[in-house]
Amino acid sequence: MLLLQNARIAAENSPELVESDVLIVEGIIQQIGTSLAIPEGARVIDARGRVLMPGMFDAHVHFRAPGFENKETITTGSEAAINGGITGVVMMPNTRPALDSATAIATVLDNARHRARIPVYTSGCVTKNREGKELAEIEGMHRLGVIMLTDDGDTTADPAVLLRAMQYATEFGMFFASHCEVPELAGPRALNEGVMSYRLGIKGSPACAEEIIIDRDIRLARAAGAHVHIQHVSSKLGMETIRWWKSRGDVKVTAEVAPHHLMFTDEHIGDYDTNYKMNPPLRTQADCDALLEGLKEGVFDLIATDHAPHTPFEKAQDFISAPNGITGLDTALVSLHHFFVEPGKFGWDLVVKRYSAEPRRLMGLPVPTIEVGQQAECVLFDTEAETTFTKEFMKSKSQNTPFINQTLKGRVDLVILGTEILLER
Amino acid sequence: MARKDLLDIASLHREEIEFLLDQSTSFKKLFTHSVKKIPALEGKSVLMLFYEASTRTHSSFEVAAKRLSAEVTNFDVAHSSITKGESVRETIETLQAMRTDYIVVRHSHSGLPGMIARQTTASVINAGDGAHEHPTQALLDAFTIKEKFPDPRGKKVLIIGDILHSRVARSTSTLLQKLGVEVAYLGPGSLVPKYVPATIPRFTNYEAAMAWAPDVVYLLRVQLERQDVQFFPNVREYHRVYGITTARLAEIRDRGLYIMHPGPVNRGVELCDAVMDYERSLITNQVENGISIRMAVLDWLTPGGEFPRQESYAAPQRASSTVIMP
Repeated sequence: MLLLQNARIAAENSPELVESDVLIVEGIIQQIGTSLAIPEGARVIDARGRVLMPGMFDAHVHFRAPGFENKETITTGSEAAINGGITGVVMMPNTRPALDSATAIATVLDNARHRARIPVYTSGCVTKNREGKELAEIEGMHRLGVIMLTDDGDTTADPAVLLRAMQYATEFGMFFASHCEVPELAGPRALNEGVMSYRLGIKGSPACAEEIIIDRDIRLARAAGAHVHIQHVSSKLGMETIRWWKSRGDVKVTAEVAPHHLMFTDEHIGDYDTNYKMNPPLRTQADCDALLEGLKEGVFDLIATDHAPHTPFEKAQDFISAPNGITGLDTALVSLHHFFVEPGKFGWDLVVKRYSAEPRRLMGLPVPTIEVGQQAECVLFDTEAETTFTKEFMKSKSQNTPFINQTLKGRVDLVILGTEILLER
Repeated sequence: MARKDLLDIASLHREEIEFLLDQSTSFKKLFTHSVKKIPALEGKSVLMLFYEASTRTHSSFEVAAKRLSAEVTNFDVAHSSITKGESVRETIETLQAMRTDYIVVRHSHSGLPGMIARQTTASVINAGDGAHEHPTQALLDAFTIKEKFPDPRGKKVLIIGDILHSRVARSTSTLLQKLGVEVAYLGPGSLVPKYVPATIPRFTNYEAAMAWAPDVVYLLRVQLERQDVQFFPNVREYHRVYGITTARLAEIRDRGLYIMHPGPVNRGVELCDAVMDYERSLITNQVENGISIRMAVLDWLTPGGEFPRQESYAAPQRASSTVIMP
């Protein structure tokens, strides 16, 4: 039995936080109200001033296993999620071997059941080994619960292959998550083409390389009657393209935005800082502003980190050699608070809707809420405290984040899942 | 104003530039003596780490180091473990263990010399990194121009060619602007990006560029090896549109303009053969001045500083990368 007193409860459809006591008995929220009586034997936590919200859900993470366990494992990745107030994730299939068959999926899901304290889901590849040629074992993966198909890390380059896959997989109720870039235009380097790429002397990837595929894949989905989910949108025109298609209403399209694309621009790369290197790349302030607008407007259904761990050795290479990607699970919720909620750019209702509820709806999962009768799946967040993201604080195996050794406002104090307290600070 | 490394022109102060140009003048005077060697760097070691082919820059640095009495070692990239898949990061650790005093590095990856500099106590000199910077080339260019125009303020330099891929264009433009020289670009639309600094006018045709009345015409090497997708149809067309043809050379001679080129020259592409005999061609002056400038740079830098932390590979945070609080 756990009694949280005077917590400020956040919900996706309530702009205001509601102060209440919450009593959790055997993992179920049993009572919500003011001045609840303290039951015999209950543990009492004074939550005054702190925000109680449902556990977050990240629909785009790289846990690197199998194949790259030196970067991350399902255990360290899921612990990083818990550390950041996230109680469910969807892994991307760009492992080695890639998750393109029922066998590979079965192994990973079995691992996840034994090694993670939170539900860990996985997507599957569209094509074998993400090569964009032969179709992956789509129905075999679906049988094991996979509903998201993606060649994330790359675009399925051949539109004919993707169209076929869409026609085929839609019959099973599966949907497609698209990493968007024309390979010939993007080139091998994750860096926005513009003033910064010129200054750094590295061939840049123009925003149109991403926008063309966003548009292409939505058109393909429309032609196939499929649902396409656009991953990690980084540009203004990309956002506007999705907005336009959504306004037409004749194709099922959803989209996500990553925290780093809302917060940083290519200027932050400064003197070749590889902790700002990811794909799609950071673009300009105008893009950041447009993405924020798109998030508030609902063009983006969800926030997802694209948590992409790499070893310190790999990231200490020069900017061109260092791999793409930054970690995000340990830092996402605190950084969203620091950059947006605290300065009043959006409220906790948006965070709950876009980072807890909608990603679960995308995955066809039940949505946890702080309501009587619900399973307890919640996070207690202190908006006044600070978090310093030291190497020791981070639970991810890798620390390739711009927030390394930075202090941000906000702290995840408590993470509860059913009868278990996953984290207490 | 002691500096450990010379990585770029962008961060150099005007006083530092003036100092290096003055020092270069003094070193150049030595060349007329029968004994050209001085003991400034005696007992010091200079390691040449060239991952890209180079004739001029490599030999120029080598001559400069030897004239200062330094020991010069060539790290033979072609026959090293690099061909066995050793990463540059691993090579740096090896070099750090050798305790060399200066590392002169050229690499196709922009920013790589800076990465080496952060991880070694040696003075690192950027001898060209990708399309980023080539600071000693810029210094020798400025020195060469100052020999002709002791007060270069207000003089005009027209840079023609592949601006997009050129580290020379970036470094030399930055340095000339710091000295008050006006710079303009001319080149194919595919090779002069629209996001070059707004302080540099961009011309789209040769006649318009000449009407700007430059004092120096600076031709960039056409880097055919860097063109993954074609940037212009063929070299004949390039020569006709952007090259110094015989007819254009006549006009340049009439106007008394100087011609510069960082080398190596593609004859018949950037310029016609006759340019090589043009009395106001500064191309060989540039080569000669490269040595005294590099002597000035080697003499100026101060190796040492804090030994890098070895317990982790965590790259030190750069000032430009701190999270900006809203």
